[in-house]
Amino acid sequence: MNAATLENVCKSFGQVHAVDNLSVQVPAGSVYGFLGPNGAGKTTTIRMIMNIIRPDSGRIEIFQDGQIERVKNRIGYMPEERGLYRKMTVRKVLAYFGAIKGLDTKELAHRVPYWLEQVDLAGWADKRVEELSRGMHQKLQFAVTVINNPELVILDEPFSGLDPLNQDLLKNIILEMRNEGKTVIFSTHVMHEAEKLCDFILLINKGKSILDGRLDEIRSRQSAHTVSVELDGDAGFVERLPMVRAVKSEGKRLDVTLTDADTQQFLQALMQRARVRAFEVKVPSLHEIFVNLVGASDAQDS
Amino acid sequence: MHRILKVAQREYIETAKTKTFIIGLLMTPVIIGVIIFFTKAISGGKAGPRPDIVVGVTDLSKTLAEDIKTSFDDYNKRNPNSQFLLQRLDVQQDANSTEAKGKTKLRNGQFNAYVVLDEDILEGPGKIRFYTYKPKPANVDAFWTIENFFRKAVENRRYEIEKIDKKLLARLRNVPLERLEIGAAEGREQVQSQGQRIAGMMVPFFFMYLIFMGMVGTGQHMLSSIIEEKNSRIIEVLLSAVSPFQLMAGKILGLAGIGLTVMTLWSAAAYAAASWQGLNVGITPQLMVYFVIYYILGYLLFSAILTGIGSVCNTIKETQSLMMPVMLIFVIPMIGWFKLVQSPDGTLARALSFVPPVTPMVMILRLAAGSDVSLFEIFATVVVLAIAVLVVIWTAAKIFRTGILMYGKRPGPLEILRWLRQS
Repeated sequence: MNAATLENVCKSFGQVHAVDNLSVQVPAGSVYGFLGPNGAGKTTTIRMIMNIIRPDSGRIEIFQDGQIERVKNRIGYMPEERGLYRKMTVRKVLAYFGAIKGLDTKELAHRVPYWLEQVDLAGWADKRVEELSRGMHQKLQFAVTVINNPELVILDEPFSGLDPLNQDLLKNIILEMRNEGKTVIFSTHVMHEAEKLCDFILLINKGKSILDGRLDEIRSRQSAHTVSVELDGDAGFVERLPMVRAVKSEGKRLDVTLTDADTQQFLQALMQRARVRAFEVKVPSLHEIFVNLVGASDAQDS
Repeated sequence: MHRILKVAQREYIETAKTKTFIIGLLMTPVIIGVIIFFTKAISGGKAGPRPDIVVGVTDLSKTLAEDIKTSFDDYNKRNPNSQFLLQRLDVQQDANSTEAKGKTKLRNGQFNAYVVLDEDILEGPGKIRFYTYKPKPANVDAFWTIENFFRKAVENRRYEIEKIDKKLLARLRNVPLERLEIGAAEGREQVQSQGQRIAGMMVPFFFMYLIFMGMVGTGQHMLSSIIEEKNSRIIEVLLSAVSPFQLMAGKILGLAGIGLTVMTLWSAAAYAAASWQGLNVGITPQLMVYFVIYYILGYLLFSAILTGIGSVCNTIKETQSLMMPVMLIFVIPMIGWFKLVQSPDGTLARALSFVPPVTPMVMILRLAAGSDVSLFEIFATVVVLAIAVLVVIWTAAKIFRTGILMYGKRPGPLEILRWLRQS
């Protein structure tokens, strides 16, 4: 079952194609990262999922329902631009948003203190929102997002403005939610965050999807072609092996780019001719994938 | 509906807590009370000290100078703080040159006023000519008193000439009149004072003013609440929980509560004040029912317009330029209320009753002024108003839905028209 489905969604602002024929399926119970450089169309996509702006064409379903208004209660949304009533106290803000998301007084009575505790704001419950620091404000905003215990949580740039300690706090809550079977969609342009959290990623650039799928599959697919080796003796033969496309040497260590061949075959070929001191299938970081693919797609466009 | 109520509840509580609201609520009656108190205190007391006023007199009839001097002396004895100094300017050669001389003295500032009594003032068509030169507003009152001295002097002398007994005349002219307001039951009748009559006049105005304040007074809160949500980007979080229409409805409802609170407290204060002063204001239960109906419809119309305006603006300053034309329409009855009270069934009153933005105010003014508005007319105005309310809410909801999420440049009229055509 999919928590969210986007089919051929397009949105233009004047001449600019903010989102161009985008299709994504977000399986229930997964953490899905929307990645891309600034201005790629992440926020526009999320806003369309939330029905804040309407797509020019295409179809969006949440919990297999095309009418988002009907399932709003089951979604928690944290927009990129944060804002809360500045003059209200932390406790009241949280209770208010809980109430308009359909919680009754009884539920609020235990959920509000619970979430204040979770995000380390219990000591600030009776302070006005305007007295909070930016990071605390952000954590309160997160508590507001999840106060109604939503099945689907959509977070637009959740980590921006948080110090490392609070980033970890937030990551742990997100992972906990995934363990409870909830679906989390979040956008970011900071790759190492996505790397630690995501089951799936969608990489978009200039409104187009350039990579979409399970993170581990993507990484192994991308990694199959680069191997880092260290050999005893002369390594000149490596270049001449049929499955090798290019070799870059850094002292004793060689970075070898393979053609489509299997890494194990390559290892065998090496072992037949020399002693292998080190052999490492290079798993590119998401950061490298990102830089490569975005760079490639930008190059294609121009 | 639950969400609308929650939004309304927050709107009400947070607005009621603001300083602007509390000050406005308390200050208005206090200011009105203070004004009434001081008006009474000032008009009741004697005039304060004032520089002497020099009045030049040329009496061409040559008979009145003594009488006038007597009345001036009397006045000066009674008012040691504000003296009227009489200076005779008798004819030297001919009347014209004397008068010219008097005018020169007036221009020079030697006289504050210069009075010429014609030769045939007593028995012919002659006049009292009262000259002033750039009179100070502060002296206008005194000039009025002085004029009266001259007229009284002429009048009294005329009685003597015609041999009319002044006392007899006074007795003949005195016809006692008592104005009585009969209460609902026998024995409840009471003398209607002058204040009572003025109160009778003011009641319609008060009701209209209440409706006006109930609508317009909440306007500022509506705008600042929308602008706050827009500027601090709360709006996206709100819209992830409620629909734009629920949000708008909640706001309108919550501030209706604010309006009703203000009106209830002010009416109670006014009623208490009127009872304390012994004024009997004729308010019928029907009037109250009409009041509530017209207020609610009028309020819905006004606040829907404001949600539309607020949603397309980014700052309070921007809203002001859009508010101007709206306010101009709503103050029409405030400006024309006196004329409307005097002829509550006139063409103007009738026509304005069918102009939706001002319908509530004009109709309440007419009903409170005791006009015989037919039930049909009431019904027709309510229907017209209700239709206008629906159209405006529909329009405002469309503008609100899109406008509330727009930042940056304010959309032009053409763009707004495009939003209206969108589904």
